[in-house]
Amino acid sequence: MKKVLCALLALALLGSAALAEEISLKVWGSQEDQELLAELCEAFAAEHPENEWTFTYGVVGEADAKTRYLEDPAAAADVFSYPDDQIIDLVNADALYEVTRDLDAIVAANTPGSIQAASVNGVLYGYPMTADNGYFLYYDKSVLTEEDVQTLDGILAAANAAGKQVQMDISNGWYLASFFLGNGCTLGLDEDGRQVCDFNSPAGLAAAEAVRAFCNDPAFTPGDDSFLMGAIGDSVCAGVSGTWCAEAISEKLGENYGACKLPTFTVDGEQVQMGSFLGCKILGVNTQTAHPVEAMMLAEYLTSEEAQVRRFEVRGYGPSNIAAASSEAVAADPALSALAAQSAYAISQQVLAGFWTPAEALGAEFEAHSTADLQGLLDQFVAQATEG
Amino acid sequence: MQKAKQCLLRRLREADASARLSCAVMGLGCLRHGQVAKGLLYLAAEGLFIAYMACFGGRYLAKFGTLGDTAQARVWSEELQIYQRIPGDNSMLILLYSVLSIALCVLFVVIWRMNLLSACRACERARAGEKQPSLRVEARALLDERFHVTLLSAPMVSLLLFTVLPIVFMVLIAFTNFDADHQPPGSLFTWTGMTNVTDVFLGNAVKTRTFFGIFGWTMVWAVLATFTNYIFGLLLAVVINNKLVKAKKTWRTLFIIPVAIPQFVSLLLISRALEPSGAINVALMELGWIDAPLPFLLDERLARMAVVVINMWIGIPYTMMTFSGVLMNIPSELYESAEMDGAGPVRRFFSITLPYMVFVTTPQTITTFVANINNFNVIYLLTAGGPFSLDYYQAGKTDLLVTWLYKLTVDHHDYALASTIGIFIFMLVSLCSLAVYNRSRAVRKEDMFQ
Repeated sequence: MKKVLCALLALALLGSAALAEEISLKVWGSQEDQELLAELCEAFAAEHPENEWTFTYGVVGEADAKTRYLEDPAAAADVFSYPDDQIIDLVNADALYEVTRDLDAIVAANTPGSIQAASVNGVLYGYPMTADNGYFLYYDKSVLTEEDVQTLDGILAAANAAGKQVQMDISNGWYLASFFLGNGCTLGLDEDGRQVCDFNSPAGLAAAEAVRAFCNDPAFTPGDDSFLMGAIGDSVCAGVSGTWCAEAISEKLGENYGACKLPTFTVDGEQVQMGSFLGCKILGVNTQTAHPVEAMMLAEYLTSEEAQVRRFEVRGYGPSNIAAASSEAVAADPALSALAAQSAYAISQQVLAGFWTPAEALGAEFEAHSTADLQGLLDQFVAQATEG
Repeated sequence: MQKAKQCLLRRLREADASARLSCAVMGLGCLRHGQVAKGLLYLAAEGLFIAYMACFGGRYLAKFGTLGDTAQARVWSEELQIYQRIPGDNSMLILLYSVLSIALCVLFVVIWRMNLLSACRACERARAGEKQPSLRVEARALLDERFHVTLLSAPMVSLLLFTVLPIVFMVLIAFTNFDADHQPPGSLFTWTGMTNVTDVFLGNAVKTRTFFGIFGWTMVWAVLATFTNYIFGLLLAVVINNKLVKAKKTWRTLFIIPVAIPQFVSLLLISRALEPSGAINVALMELGWIDAPLPFLLDERLARMAVVVINMWIGIPYTMMTFSGVLMNIPSELYESAEMDGAGPVRRFFSITLPYMVFVTTPQTITTFVANINNFNVIYLLTAGGPFSLDYYQAGKTDLLVTWLYKLTVDHHDYALASTIGIFIFMLVSLCSLAVYNRSRAVRKEDMFQ
């Protein structure tokens, strides 16, 4: 009897060892990234044969991640990517697992800016995946020289001389902030997660005067990305945008394609470098997941050096991984190297949802050549942007 | 039959113990008097209800007063090296399932009352020495003298389940602080009474200004959008219908063409064309009519004019189509006799065509007016509410209440405030339509038509 029992016990032990645990994970990614995502997940499964993996993929782009998550956290993906500007709302809703396993390795492997973007109050809440959500200057080399693009005044002078225009989407808070950040204004969050913004300080007023002068220049034109992609090389000789336009613009300009960091602008007769945001896409692990450890392993793999290199090769996304970012292929990409040059003057985007509409309203005032009192506008803007 | 009219309490007092005990044990009265199947059904209903409340509904109902007190918590797990989450309450689920449970309670009370009635009736029948009808006989009655119950039950149930309950749920949200800072499971929301209502109407200066500013423009917009389309559609239809106009069908087809293009496509295209470097500005500058681009979407007045004019371009074909149909139906004898009496074309228009039109189209115009109050597409696709204003709370100068509501929910997760505005829009729209509709001649003198 004992023997039979022992045999049964041994069999059971053997069985449990041989039978891999079944882990099914749901992963969200944007429509264009689905193929790559599946490829990387399969590679991950091949590296970890100890478990039986089943992946389900959901088409949810980064921009929609927060909204879709909050609709029903329990039904959301176990691992999903989101842009860093959604991190605060997600952390408030306790949606994200803190990164606690392999923390030091992850912090060491990624750029400090991307780690900062994925952290709230010093706690890392996700795995940085890309670091290319920023903007810089695209220009037409047949109109502007490398000398011209150093300063905004130089660009405007050359553009006016050639009868061309310079595009910047001033009525978009993301771009508008560039002048204010460059002149030393603060835009961030306090310890309670409230918006802090001092664009109505004397430095902010000086920046706003520069924006007004820029918008009143005959060469200035507003317009969004699709306008820039269509008009650069024709009526427009320079514009401010990010890497998502790189392919279209380099095709349009051909050998005249140029990209560099943002220019300096004039404040009280001195040159001030324009600032910018540098955003990341981050992989987060849902706190509602049934397999937190496995989901973290997957997220770590999907943001590893190999995965980021592959992501750059297939989709052209700029890596947040230091080793991947310093590869020759990345350095040879004009848009990514312009972004890297600008990133020295960039901050991570700690901005609440309430900032954007007032910022758009402020930008629209400039675009409409309003002559209203600047200090009054800025005070009103700051009151609105920091409310709620 | 007389007894059915007596109050239930009195009948219960007169009935036997089994009927009175049915208050606690449902179906007992029926079982006692031989209606076994019916009695068992009542008993099963009671059992199911108690099971539901004990296993599911009760948990949520108990927290209905606070909408939950413990948010999701975390503890450090040395073994896994992670902060494990301990599930907490979820205010939204508590609210949702509480509403459902309350609805089920109401349903249960209705069934409970039916059970008492059945018990009394069974007892009365037994005393009178009548035969107790079997379940099959009573079920057959549903296909015969009680057929209306059978027919109406499906629509009633779906109406309650898919319309009334969600509305109750949404209305309740207006009395909470469900916004971007209170998102379950990380932070719970709770009842805040009338805060949202007072915020909008009195307390919060920016929100009040935004609300009344947008409300005023919404009404101006609804009036302008409805009546420009009405007047110009009518004129166009009258002109095309005139005897002197040749090739009527061609003209009608030409004006209908904008309808063939999906509305959102044309709206997005026009929105592009109105931009400072868009087609319209470029064309005007090439012609030399203007020196600098016109700020169609940046200037408050221009933007408001632009949406009204473009709405005309989109809406007039529809009104023209309807009015052409009505015009062709006006009996020609009316015009002939008027002509004999010496009425000129203007007189004929104001004495025959216009009264006839107004009579027939008033209900449709009310519908259009209400639809324009909530005309999301034209505004959102054309200007997205812009130009945005620093005077307003997360809104722009062409925003309607409904587009503002959309932004509050989708962009800012400010559900409580959005729900408050939603209730207001609902009241506004239903009051408007009820008042005007009931006073219109088409309803009051329905029988007088022709």
